Amino acid sequence: MEPFPQETAPLPGATVIKAVGLTKRYGVLDVLQGIDLEAHEGEVISILGASGSGKSTFLRCLNLLEVPSGGALNILGEDIRFRLKRGEQHIADARQVNRLRSQVGMVFQNFCLWSHRTVLQNVMEGPIHVQGRNRYEVRDEAEKTLARVGMLNRAEYYPSQLSGGQQQRVAIARAIVMRPRVLLFDEPTSALDPELVGEVLKVMRDLASEGRTMLIVTHEMAFARDVSSRIVFLEKGTVRAQGSPQDLFKGGMDESFDRFISHFSRPG
Amino acid sequence: MDWSFLFETLKTLLAGVPLTLQLATTALCTGFVLAACIATLAESAFAPARWFSRLYVMLFQGTPLLVQIFVIYYGFGQISFLRSSFAWPLLAQAYWCAILALSLNTSAYGAEIIRGAIAAVPEREIEAGRAIGMAGLLLRRRVIWPQALRYGLANYGNEAILLLKATSLASVITLMDVTGLAYRLVSKTYRSEEIFTVAGLIYLAMTFVIATCVHMLEGHLNPSRRV
Amino acid sequence: MNTQSLALVGFGPDGWGKLLLLAAGLTLAAAVCSFALGSLLGTVGAALKLAPNHALRWIGTFYTTLFRGIPEILVVYLFYFGGSLALTHLMHLAGFPGFFSLPSFVIGVVAIALVSGAYQTEAFRSAYCRLERGQIEAGKACGMSSTVLLRRIIAPQTLRFALPALGNIWQSVLKETALLSIIGLVELLRQSTIASGATRQPLLFYGVAALVYLIMGQTTALGIRAVEKRFSRCWGR
Repeated sequence: MEPFPQETAPLPGATVIKAVGLTKRYGVLDVLQGIDLEAHEGEVISILGASGSGKSTFLRCLNLLEVPSGGALNILGEDIRFRLKRGEQHIADARQVNRLRSQVGMVFQNFCLWSHRTVLQNVMEGPIHVQGRNRYEVRDEAEKTLARVGMLNRAEYYPSQLSGGQQQRVAIARAIVMRPRVLLFDEPTSALDPELVGEVLKVMRDLASEGRTMLIVTHEMAFARDVSSRIVFLEKGTVRAQGSPQDLFKGGMDESFDRFISHFSRPG
Repeated sequence: MDWSFLFETLKTLLAGVPLTLQLATTALCTGFVLAACIATLAESAFAPARWFSRLYVMLFQGTPLLVQIFVIYYGFGQISFLRSSFAWPLLAQAYWCAILALSLNTSAYGAEIIRGAIAAVPEREIEAGRAIGMAGLLLRRRVIWPQALRYGLANYGNEAILLLKATSLASVITLMDVTGLAYRLVSKTYRSEEIFTVAGLIYLAMTFVIATCVHMLEGHLNPSRRV
Repeated sequence: MNTQSLALVGFGPDGWGKLLLLAAGLTLAAAVCSFALGSLLGTVGAALKLAPNHALRWIGTFYTTLFRGIPEILVVYLFYFGGSLALTHLMHLAGFPGFFSLPSFVIGVVAIALVSGAYQTEAFRSAYCRLERGQIEAGKACGMSSTVLLRRIIAPQTLRFALPALGNIWQSVLKETALLSIIGLVELLRQSTIASGATRQPLLFYGVAALVYLIMGQTTALGIRAVEKRFSRCWGR
């Protein structure tokens, strides 16, 4: 199989995302209480945690869909600039954020395909209107990408005409056609019917095996164990444990993680 | 600002409020009865009845109210059998022409609102009524109409406001409602800004009262939405 | 209808057909201009009503409450009398004596546009509120600037949601242009009044006017429904 097109060959080891003491507060609710995380090129990091542990919020902070309340964030070697207004942090430089977002792909839990555009138009939208690339070249690449996720035969469909699994595969194609250096997945299979989960996970497995840098918030334990190079376990807005899947899933490394895992591996 | 003139204007124009309200309430009531009939015809099993109701709604919604008023006020006089009929003493008066036009016009909109409200009653609630043995008028009276009233009330309230505003067109055929008085006063004094502003404020006050009443009634009918 | 009446509304030497047709064209032109200007006002109004700033929101609410709460005819009158007075006053200040008046077409279009703009404000605002957050977030996530986001995602989706309401507003605008007859614009209704005065056939000419309004309304409704259908392909199966 031909690999997905990528702008630059991954440099193993280079830091792509670095969060230091990242916090997020909604009113009196502290969702993130100081998270440190460093992601390197080529890593596949699964972020696990019970609901309410702040894992989705953390992921959304990484492309500034949520603006962190405190801490430092470095994306692709650039420090994100914030400014304080009435005691709240805001994005200081929208152009910087937009530039970085175009290099950080995001896949949402509920797909969020643009409902007024066809599958192909959804995939072509970003490269043409954000990156200003040539329409013909983009069309070519979009079709190849759709073929890779097995959706080329639905190119002229509208999102509402597709199943959830199909929509999510298109959403993944939409993210990777931007040639991102990091891919963020926010519970990509949580909104899917059980029988549709497999097709999406397969695409993600392929991406991981190509050496793409991925951060994945998920409840798919088997997938996290098999595919990740590192597991980060969040609890109450802090990193409770992290390490290789082999070490963590073996058990005995962190009591809280073991308890969390036991909920998923219960027989039945 | 010439306060005494504004006050005088207000006093003059308020004299038109009873007529405006009379036109609006009469048309609203007759219009509602007509609307209920038209809405019933729309659901009839007899096809020509449905066609008639469709045509009726299209005719009165599709043409300007002012044209309808003119057809009735100026045009009906040409129809000889109307001139000789018992209704002529009424139809020769601008007041009754305005009432007729407003009633017919609002009934077309009202019919659509009633139809929509009845269609909005969930099928399962009707089935639940049937399941305990309700049918016919009982089912309508106890299940369908109360529910439809809740769904349709806000829309009918809007229609009442539109109707109140529409009564101002009666001034074109010489009725001295608020707008008519305002127009007459302007042609006497040429102080159009002040007079029309006062008239506008009177209408705003009336629409505000209607909107508030409808809102309160809605809260009364929808206990679940009461805050 | 007898042949004599047919000749009256026909295009022959005694017929009013040509004049009525021209007048209908003027009605359509007034409606299109009012609606277009109203769309502009509606967009601004909706932006005001959705603004984070309290004062701006208040201005938006004031505008819609005012123009939806008072009869259209009063707005038309106000602009008809007030507009000319204001212009005359301005011209006097500029040193031009005499009486000046704006063309009734302009006055009428502005008045109707202000009213329809208030209704369009509500149409756009409620359509915007129906947008899903995810649609906008997906745009942000791929790096769209706010202008691209507005142009490529927000505007088309808002328009799609607003379309049915806009269709209704168009129909009212078309009918409201009849009010321009009372300020002397020779549009369809005024022309019919002139014709019925000259021929003493009010029923015939007002009937024809009603029919022409009906045809204009129904034809445009068909067009709007076709556009709606095309747009809604992407929503629902």
